[in-house]
Amino acid sequence: MGAVLVDGFVLGLQFGILGVGLTLVYGLGGVVNLAHGQMAVMAAIVTARLIDRGVSTAIAIVIGIAAAGLLGIIIDRTIMQPVYRDQTDHRVLLGLLLMLGVGFVIDGVLEWRYPIEALNLRVGGDPVSLFGLKIRRGSIWASAIIGLIGVALVLFFRFTTFGRATRSVIQDEEGARLCGINPAMVRTVIFGLSGALAGSVAMIQAMTSPVVSTAGVGLTIFALIVAVVGGLGSVSGAFLAGILLGIVNTLSAFYIGTFVSSIILVAAAAITILLRPQGLLSRA
Amino acid sequence: MPDSTRSQLLRGYAPIAIVIALLALVPLWSGDSRSMMTVVTTGLAFGAYAVAFNLIFGSTGQLFLCVGALAGIGGFGSAILSERTAIPFVVTMLLAMVLAAGFGALLSWVAVSRSLDTIFTGIVTLAFSLSFENFVLGRQDLTGGENGLRVEAGSDTVLGGQISPYYVFLAMLAAYLVLFRIIQTSHFGWAFRALRDDEVAAELSGIDVARYRIYAAAVGSAMLGLTGATFAHYRSFIGDSTYAFGNVDVRVLVMLAFGGIGTVLGPVIGATVFTVVDELLVDYASLREVIYGVVTLVLFLSFRQGAVPAFTGAVGRLLGGGRTLGSAAVEDGSGGAPEPPDGGGPGGSPADEVATEETAESR
Repeated sequence: MGAVLVDGFVLGLQFGILGVGLTLVYGLGGVVNLAHGQMAVMAAIVTARLIDRGVSTAIAIVIGIAAAGLLGIIIDRTIMQPVYRDQTDHRVLLGLLLMLGVGFVIDGVLEWRYPIEALNLRVGGDPVSLFGLKIRRGSIWASAIIGLIGVALVLFFRFTTFGRATRSVIQDEEGARLCGINPAMVRTVIFGLSGALAGSVAMIQAMTSPVVSTAGVGLTIFALIVAVVGGLGSVSGAFLAGILLGIVNTLSAFYIGTFVSSIILVAAAAITILLRPQGLLSRA
Repeated sequence: MPDSTRSQLLRGYAPIAIVIALLALVPLWSGDSRSMMTVVTTGLAFGAYAVAFNLIFGSTGQLFLCVGALAGIGGFGSAILSERTAIPFVVTMLLAMVLAAGFGALLSWVAVSRSLDTIFTGIVTLAFSLSFENFVLGRQDLTGGENGLRVEAGSDTVLGGQISPYYVFLAMLAAYLVLFRIIQTSHFGWAFRALRDDEVAAELSGIDVARYRIYAAAVGSAMLGLTGATFAHYRSFIGDSTYAFGNVDVRVLVMLAFGGIGTVLGPVIGATVFTVVDELLVDYASLREVIYGVVTLVLFLSFRQGAVPAFTGAVGRLLGGGRTLGSAAVEDGSGGAPEPPDGGGPGGSPADEVATEETAESR
């Protein structure tokens, strides 16, 4: 039970980071990134290919994450521009459909070129005993890294000018513009950051279990559910929802079966939409 | 008065009849080859999926990303029921259809009962697709998991022949098209159009927006379930890939976007074109999803009306108002002013004008 809980917590942290990336992009541009998981997997496969070619693991990881960030920036600067320009009700739908297309392309390329490629960064060594629980080394590393990312994100959004500018654009784009903030620039940087965060999650996941090239859609859906339960646009909500759903997911997968855990996740999203459409944390 | 009703009837149903009659001729050249018949019959099944998806997405703007899952509920539901009980397979198909309709209505109800429904519909249905796939893989005792499921029932009927299943699916497609047309010209159709054009105004004029969306989702899901069930008994073998998101939803979305969202014949045109494209690209099957993704992006970036309406619109303008089959279908499709849910500007600008405008903009 204890070990399962720890696994769930670590998975939940990963879900949280995925959800934060998704929710930020939605909060800024109204775009629901249906290719979020595919971007993460792309980063993983880039890293795996580089390691195969003899590049050192650390450098390969950095390049993989950077590639996902760069992809985010490119998507934002090119095909998302018509979405940002569109001021009608159809904007959200257009954004959804275009990101869906991006997801098809990334998934298709991965399936075509690297159908059996997988990234495995398993951390070796015996499990560590902590408070009477045997915890895998990979899990400890993963939680430490995610903890660092989480703290860095909080510091970024609270104490840097750019972080504050981002929050102000989420709250009121027109107001932010009047204060001299360039919303388009903020959106581009955050889309890149979101891609890099997704890439980091793929690296972290690879420390405990291999990331296969077909995992994209699944990751996207996890991120979507987390973002909905946390309240679209809410960073802290997404993080909390990620941890909760990660624990629920792991417990139900362990005790009942994987297919039940995914049904529970869908139910969680449905119940949230019905009862608290604004998410876990925010007040109505 | 009776005269104008008759011409309206002709205008509405003649294109459907012509297309169905043309499709009925296909076995004349493909009938000798069993594999070709499988290809074209599957193409018709996808046409039927696309019509159903068009009813949900094109008419009421609900992006249902679970076409495959709902069809799979029909397919697996009917297959499992007919194998395990003594109920005749025609009845199990109908039961599975009702089951799919129930799921579709439930998903729609969850998503549309709140604001932000565009996003919620996409998310909830996509998540539903994942849990359906996990269910198929997880409950091996019921669904056969990765090994798939043999479907014996129905193989000794018309669904078991080489050519006859084609006409079963053709009849189904014709029925769906007529039903789509009937719904469009009924007060449901007016309500759909009103809420698509301006949801707030529709709500203010007394249309229960959420209720009409749920109705459309239920009817469309019933179509998906019935088609999926028929497909299962026709193929006599179904597996986790038969109704997978990547195999069904991706294609159906591209077919509809290509043919023209919200139009009557768009789904059929799209299904025909992409069945041919798939056959041409059969040696590059692994590239298929990339191609579909690129086509999706190009379609939604440049021709938000759908490629076929844009093309026929341009042709129609060149010929000085000469009407082609496709443009007739478009005009009938949305009452003279086609505007798909993701169309750009306000008002009913003609398809060709919007298309050229958007193309220029995207460059």
